[in-house]
Amino acid sequence: MKLFVKIFLWFLAAIALMVVVIIFVTRTFQTDPMFSRFQRSTRNQMSIYSGTATQIVNAEGENGLRIYLSRLRDLEPPREVNLVDSNGQTWFGEPAAITDSADLIKRTFSSGSAETDSAEDRTLGASPVAFPDGQRYVLVLQWERQPPQSLFWGSAPGYWRLGGLLLTATVLCYLLALYLTSPIRKLREATHKLADGDLQTRVAQKVGRRRDELADLAGDFDLMAERIESLITSQQRLTRDVSHELRSPLARLNVALEIAKQKSNPESAPMLERIETESARLNDMISRLLTLAKLEGGSEDVERVRLDLAEIVRDVAADADFEAQANGKFVEVTTADRCTVVGSENLLRSAIENVLRNAVRYTPERSVVDVSLSKNNGHAVVRIADHGGGVPEEELANLFRPFYRVGEARERKTGGIGLGLAIAERAVKAHKGTITAKNVNGGLMIEIALDAAKKDEL
Amino acid sequence: MDKILIIDDDEELCELVSEYLAVEGFDISTVNDGESGLKMALSGEYDLAILDVMLPKMNGFDVLRNLRLESKLPVLMLTARGDDMERIVGLEIGADDYLPKPFNPRELAARLRAILRRSVPLAEDGDEAHEKLDIDGVQVSSSARIATRDGSEINLTSVEFELLRELLREAGKVVKKEDLSERVLERKLSPYDRSLDMHISNLRKKLGARADGSERIKTIRSVGYIYTVV
Repeated sequence: MKLFVKIFLWFLAAIALMVVVIIFVTRTFQTDPMFSRFQRSTRNQMSIYSGTATQIVNAEGENGLRIYLSRLRDLEPPREVNLVDSNGQTWFGEPAAITDSADLIKRTFSSGSAETDSAEDRTLGASPVAFPDGQRYVLVLQWERQPPQSLFWGSAPGYWRLGGLLLTATVLCYLLALYLTSPIRKLREATHKLADGDLQTRVAQKVGRRRDELADLAGDFDLMAERIESLITSQQRLTRDVSHELRSPLARLNVALEIAKQKSNPESAPMLERIETESARLNDMISRLLTLAKLEGGSEDVERVRLDLAEIVRDVAADADFEAQANGKFVEVTTADRCTVVGSENLLRSAIENVLRNAVRYTPERSVVDVSLSKNNGHAVVRIADHGGGVPEEELANLFRPFYRVGEARERKTGGIGLGLAIAERAVKAHKGTITAKNVNGGLMIEIALDAAKKDEL
Repeated sequence: MDKILIIDDDEELCELVSEYLAVEGFDISTVNDGESGLKMALSGEYDLAILDVMLPKMNGFDVLRNLRLESKLPVLMLTARGDDMERIVGLEIGADDYLPKPFNPRELAARLRAILRRSVPLAEDGDEAHEKLDIDGVQVSSSARIATRDGSEINLTSVEFELLRELLREAGKVVKKEDLSERVLERKLSPYDRSLDMHISNLRKKLGARADGSERIKTIRSVGYIYTVV
């Protein structure tokens, strides 16, 4: 699960749990004060009822009192009302409706003021009433015990409270999760970019002005990126400089060799030829190394021109066919859809050329290297397939590494130096394309996919 | 004997090349920096200059640019191997040919001979000497080795001049790449060699398109080129 979701859910769960615990604790330990408050208010209410009853019986007589008491009985919440005299005789109400009230009535008679009592399922209140004839009575009320009202449930304000709490909790958790995970997400993006070869990636600025471990991590990432960048650029510069410097002695070697040939006797001629071959090989290697170093150095400044890829493929294939025929091999273009791409002609040409020459090198004599260019889903796809037996599956991904050799002995014999495919890969990548290798029909097939040019591009 | 000026900062290489080319029958002088190289090239004493790109004081491109302001001295550029840009820039600003360094000295000698042969005006009595071609405003005069478009001179290198002449001679017909390479560059067309295409592309730029926007020289893919006739 995503870290963001995890943090969000955890915090939300924590808040929910906290609310439940608080409610539980309040219910358990705060009943006493709540209860005494309730008793006080019941007592006040009872005094008011009995006071009113006394006034009514004095002003309007017994009938008036009966009407008042009936009205009192019909009020909400549901209740029973009795009026009892000092002998326990009920003057109003059902005697059976209120039980176990004898003690309370006795207390009220003796104290002369309102008293309350509560049992499990009911609350009793009693208060004295004086009749005009001097007779003393006690007004007894019995309420059903109201279930304690839930804080969140069962009433409109409860739902509002619940909704508000949930909303606030959700928003807070969301913001918190965002605050914690957004720098991690940025770090992750930066790591990806760095891994993709964008060595100038830095992240501290994007993470912003926070002062915590994540900001420190971002700072450390930048330090690391800087170090990697300087290491890699210096290594690339070294490759480039070494190759560049090697050319001067090589140029002199070539000339000296030719002078030696002018002056040589027939005996030394074959060795001089050999020196020439080796020097040419060295030369080739250096120029490829330079091309590679340049491609790895700055892939951003690739030239952008509209190119007819079919023409390039046909051209390169024709050249390769010419060269291959000298060794009894052939290159055939099977399909060549019209494809326009945007990029550097030189780079794309060299990419296709390198792959094609590699294929020609490995395909057996009297066999054909198939070249096809097809267009699908906005991609121009060049496929080059030889019949050279392919490459072990686990080595396919390594093919594009510089100087990587699949079969040491075989490679030497065929004269490769292990840079062609590396150059092709860099060139294709510089065009934001992909190059892949797979084994097909007893041979290696290299597939180059490039974005086809959009209609209005350039 | 043809007098050749080598402008290259590698003194040892200059020595060796001088020794080799002396045997091949050239008269060689060498100079090791761009500024004095340009001065000597402008002196008019030489038939051809071999120019390296990386030079102290003034780089090869600047030397060539300055040289072309007042001289048509044939120039062969030594470019860094694997660097297409150097090659293209060199040809664009008026080098007659280029050779990637390190080079094969035999090839150097052959290229020098080819350039020299092209740059020498033809013998007075030859058929070609008085040849004048004129196709829709583009004129080529073999005796003066001058090409003009609507009366004004087009500044062409010797290779470009020869290419234009070959194409004009067979205007309206396809000229094969192989033939152009052999007749103009005096070497066999080898696979992956794109110098002919580059010369043609420079020639195209210098000629400019027709008034209606169409190209004068068209490419016939993997065959050759055609100078179109309207």
